[in-house]
Amino acid sequence: MIRLEGLTRRFNGRTAVDGLTFRVREGEIFGLLGPNGAGKTTTVRMLCCLIRPSEGRAFVGGYEVGREAMKIREIVGLLPESPGLYGELSAYRNLDFYARLYGVPKQRREENIERFLKMMDLWDRRNDPVGSFSKGMQQKIAIARSMVHDPKVLFLDEPTAALAPDSAKVVRDFILELKHEKRTIFICTHNLYEAERICDRVAIINTKLITLGSPSQLQREFGSGKTEVQIKNLGSRILHAVKKVKGVLKVEVSGNKLLIQSKDPETVNPRVVEAIVKNGGKILYVTRGAHGLEEAYLKLVGKNEV
Amino acid sequence: MRFDRVWEIAKKDMASVRRHRYVLYGLVVMPLIFAIVVPMITILPFLSAEVAGDNLPPFAPPGFSVKQATILAMVSLLSLIFMFIPAFVPSVIASYTFVGEKINKQLEPLLATPTTDSELLLGKALGAFLPAVGVTFASFTGMVILVDLLTLPIFGYPVLPDLLSLVILFVYCPLIAILSVSVSVFISSKVNDVRAATQLSGVSVLPVLGFYFLFLGGLLKLDWVELALFAALLVLIDAGLFYLSKMTFQREEILTKWK
Repeated sequence: MIRLEGLTRRFNGRTAVDGLTFRVREGEIFGLLGPNGAGKTTTVRMLCCLIRPSEGRAFVGGYEVGREAMKIREIVGLLPESPGLYGELSAYRNLDFYARLYGVPKQRREENIERFLKMMDLWDRRNDPVGSFSKGMQQKIAIARSMVHDPKVLFLDEPTAALAPDSAKVVRDFILELKHEKRTIFICTHNLYEAERICDRVAIINTKLITLGSPSQLQREFGSGKTEVQIKNLGSRILHAVKKVKGVLKVEVSGNKLLIQSKDPETVNPRVVEAIVKNGGKILYVTRGAHGLEEAYLKLVGKNEV
Repeated sequence: MRFDRVWEIAKKDMASVRRHRYVLYGLVVMPLIFAIVVPMITILPFLSAEVAGDNLPPFAPPGFSVKQATILAMVSLLSLIFMFIPAFVPSVIASYTFVGEKINKQLEPLLATPTTDSELLLGKALGAFLPAVGVTFASFTGMVILVDLLTLPIFGYPVLPDLLSLVILFVYCPLIAILSVSVSVFISSKVNDVRAATQLSGVSVLPVLGFYFLFLGGLLKLDWVELALFAALLVLIDAGLFYLSKMTFQREEILTKWK
């Protein structure tokens, strides 16, 4: 659905995006991760045909960026970093205005506006000026605006950045719901927890592409592979048994928790659980050790600081 | 060019502007001043008092009594003053719809829609142009009624509208409004403050001021030739400035070079 081939953008001699090459599949939720100034927003702006690439090519929905800008704009929806709503206009009028600009027929326009406002729990406030809304509510309206024309590809730049946890959850659930509608979703985010939870694959960039893969793949490859096991009756027998499990590299004890490091947690963890249970251990929780993707991200970005 | 999209943008901008109290007051108060206060101040003193012949302004028309010539000269001045409305009003509106939207980061989602740069520019320009022209027309109608009511006993016929006022209303005012919008678009790319943009857009009144003072000084007689020449000059300035604003109002420029 999206294809980048050496996509590059320079501003006055400074390279903001350097030779990005990757593909995003149809119906995929794809995360673009990177520190501030890594070129995430510039990449999205190029893919939405807001600015032109300095070099390289990109295709969205089969249309070439730059050459077929109008076609691309018709099939994409964009949520920029700031909601950019018209505060003096009502929620309904904001959405209606954009739907009209996208040429959405009247009946579908009304249906979509109602559907999205209800989904975001804002239908009752549809006639209120959005300037009177909280940040979270405004962000919800902005997401609805980016969806109002039923785009095939949705670009979301930091969709939950300004939201309270409950609003962020609503947005995340909404994004996951959109996945069922087979839409391709391209998310720029700093929120690694969010990327881990909702993205099928992520690319980490710092001007250049550093790596790309599924969150679990990146954790496996670049994370420390730590797993946390909380045991009700942790004792030395269980500890020895875990240490003997094939593939376990290191075991740390903290209270009634074991922090187990291995190269391949997905293979080793079932063996660890088996060993604990065999030795009479009562497992309370098995969780991924300290910040899976975050660990991989920090390792990769740290190594590739510009 | 899809005019339905252009009209949507213009409608939205006009709806937004209606909700800005500062702009709205300007749109309501200014026509009232121009339609009522200025005619009263300008015409009323000459209605009852005798006017000395040696006090005739240089632009007073020949073939009338001193009193009538003085009043007609004042009426011409009144008509000319109306050119200041389309020079001023669009710059106030355009400053809100261009600089205001830039500051509030409302332009990016708009630029992501499948509208061309020209459609966006024309829509936003219309959003500033139409209220300005509407206000000028409404105000002018009020002024014509008031002036004719005041001067009917002296002339025995309505002195307005005359050739000059019609040219000003239907030719100069729209051209000046276009000039003002174009200047505002260009200035919007350079400043980040609505009031600063409004003040800087004040340069739009320069051609109007020039024309006004040349007339006051008696250097213009405002015959057909002079009226046509000034119209041609405005068309030329508009063409140049509109081209400049079109060059300035491009997606790439707005997102990468606008301050």
